[in-house]
Amino acid sequence: MHHRFFSRTKIRNSLAFKVIFSNVLLGLVIISLTGSTLYRQLSDGIRKVKVESSIGETRSAIFNAQYRILVATDEEAATIKKIVEDIVVNPAGVVGESVNGREVALLQTNPGVAGSRNFQRLSNLVLLSSIPSELRKRVQSGKGIEWAYSTISYQDGNYRPGLVVGEKISIPNSGSYEMYLLFNLSNQKATLALLRGALYFSGLALLFLIALLTLLVVRQVVRPVRDAARISEGFTAGDLNRRMEVKGNDEIGRLGHSFNEMAHSLQQQISRLENLSRVQQRFVSDVSHELRTPLTTLRMASEVIYSARDHFDASIARSAELLVAQLDRFEKLLEDLLEVSRFDAEVAVLEIVQFDFANVISRAISDLNLLAQESGTHIELIKSAMPEVISADIRRVERIIRNLLTNAIEYSDGKPIQVTVKTTRSDVAVGVRDHGVGMEEENAYRVFDRFWRADLSRARVRGGTGLGLSISLEDARLHNGELEAWGRPGQGAHFVLTLPRVAGHEIDARVIRLQPVDFPST
Amino acid sequence: MTLVMVVDDDQDLAEMLGIVLTGAGIDVDLVGRGDEVIDVFRANPPDLVLLDVMLPGLNGIEVCRLIRAESLVPIIMLSAKGDTHDVVKGLEAGADDYMIKPFKHPSELVARIRTRLRRSSAGLSGQLTLSDLAIDLVAHQVTRGGKAIGLTRLEFDLLVALAKEPGRVFTRDALLSEVWGYRHSTDTRLVNVHVQRLRAKVEHDPENPEIVVTVRGVGYKAGVTGGV
Repeated sequence: MHHRFFSRTKIRNSLAFKVIFSNVLLGLVIISLTGSTLYRQLSDGIRKVKVESSIGETRSAIFNAQYRILVATDEEAATIKKIVEDIVVNPAGVVGESVNGREVALLQTNPGVAGSRNFQRLSNLVLLSSIPSELRKRVQSGKGIEWAYSTISYQDGNYRPGLVVGEKISIPNSGSYEMYLLFNLSNQKATLALLRGALYFSGLALLFLIALLTLLVVRQVVRPVRDAARISEGFTAGDLNRRMEVKGNDEIGRLGHSFNEMAHSLQQQISRLENLSRVQQRFVSDVSHELRTPLTTLRMASEVIYSARDHFDASIARSAELLVAQLDRFEKLLEDLLEVSRFDAEVAVLEIVQFDFANVISRAISDLNLLAQESGTHIELIKSAMPEVISADIRRVERIIRNLLTNAIEYSDGKPIQVTVKTTRSDVAVGVRDHGVGMEEENAYRVFDRFWRADLSRARVRGGTGLGLSISLEDARLHNGELEAWGRPGQGAHFVLTLPRVAGHEIDARVIRLQPVDFPST
Repeated sequence: MTLVMVVDDDQDLAEMLGIVLTGAGIDVDLVGRGDEVIDVFRANPPDLVLLDVMLPGLNGIEVCRLIRAESLVPIIMLSAKGDTHDVVKGLEAGADDYMIKPFKHPSELVARIRTRLRRSSAGLSGQLTLSDLAIDLVAHQVTRGGKAIGLTRLEFDLLVALAKEPGRVFTRDALLSEVWGYRHSTDTRLVNVHVQRLRAKVEHDPENPEIVVTVRGVGYKAGVTGGV
């Protein structure tokens, strides 16, 4: 039982697995949607704040620089150069701030204008390529502050994510310049990375939580369902006393309650039927006993009269003979009736032994040879010399064969009877073919009906009870075998018994064809 | 004259049995109730008991047990049921043989009674030794170390049948014909039950029989043997 629990199909078929799987999938979609939205909004916010503060800083730095340059207009170039140096290194006029996450560039808009001095300057070995040319165009043509994201590259090969903000600035006698502040965004990037990490982590944690919660809930629901399934299986196997454990009044409790009610009702029905069957069996047994005792007395009395028949006159002597013969027949009929009622009550059971099927047939034929001779016929047996051992109820198999043979003898019209034995690895079969009166094709299956007669005008031959073939069919079916009949008026009949080698197994195929080989198929 | 006690509650059948047996030269004592049997039995001990299973007062199997407790007299059970269960219970209670009603021929019943009354060892005389058992064929006694072992006639006959041909393996069918007088019966339950009862009386350890040995798939034979 338990090993199946872990098998692949079990997992695929498990309700718990299905629910958890779909819940986790749904959770994944929701969490990734909300997570990515949250991330986008947060990162946009962070960037926006940075851009605004950077623009403010740049504006004040450029204003400060322009002011200092304008104040120094009349000074000589060396002084201006010093001021420019000072601006580039410290644009806000605060010592040491330039090192802190931002660089400054002062670029000449039209380099190479004759006679003018070039004060172009970049701080800290920043490469000119750090400032996008597109931004420069906007600054040169525009009037206010412009900004753009960029990568700040250094001469030593380092680069950092950055924000470049710039505006025009003029240095007297030297033409127009642009001043740019390059802000390092590494911090913001790191913050965002941290944020993303946190979001991923909490998303995964949430998913895990969802899976766990679903598992807990599903287990509460699934366990009773599983219990119900297990108990149903027990029921099927015949254990009618199993019941579900009922806890609480919820849906699961109701399920358990109604399941138990169903189980109870089933158990009652079954025991009622069992009881009926027992009553029937009991009745059969009683009838058997009650009839047998007077029958015994009758037989003994008739036997006493019969043995003294020489002392009576002819008609009384003949009456004694008829009495004995009819008592035989009566007893046979009683036996058959009891057997039929055992089948009807489904109390007939197989007593299985191993025996040689072919030998049983040979024996039955030699036992019935005398009867066959009396009817002016004889029985031919077609079989291999090999013993064919089967597991079956020998008494029933013998009875089927005897019934088929006596039936064939009875209707043979003095023509020979052929008995064929054929076997396969899994099945054995015997065919009994006579060439006598036969029957209508459409009546072939009716020969197994109780007390059925092919020809009502035909007198029943002494000894037959009219139940033999019917009992034989039940005997065959009890073995999970099959008994079939074929017939044509005036051309005889063919009965085929097929049995599995082990009683109760399925028959693989018909070993002997029902339509006799000697009959020309039209 | 031989006396047979017929125990059956069906008066007509009992009377008929009486007619048939009397006709065969056997005296008959008719009893109709199970609980009356033991008193009649003690007052007038019969040579054989013909006992129906279904009886008022006390059922046949109980009656059989009571008789067996004080006598080794042959008992033939009459049963209307061919029921294996009933037959085996009767045999285990000590019956030697059984007949299913209705009998094929009354003569069969008489023959069966005669077989039980006649000793199959009748023609033999002298002494047989089987293992540490001394079998006196004249006195119909089995002794071990001078102590007598109470065997029913049937058990005695069974033991003698095996002991007089020490090497031979008897099939159950052979024993049925030799001891019970059946010509073609395949009811091996008779043999199995009686072999077990015999073993319980003569074997040192009935679980590991040394005197009546099972030959697997064939039948039985006498175990450690001495000689005639």
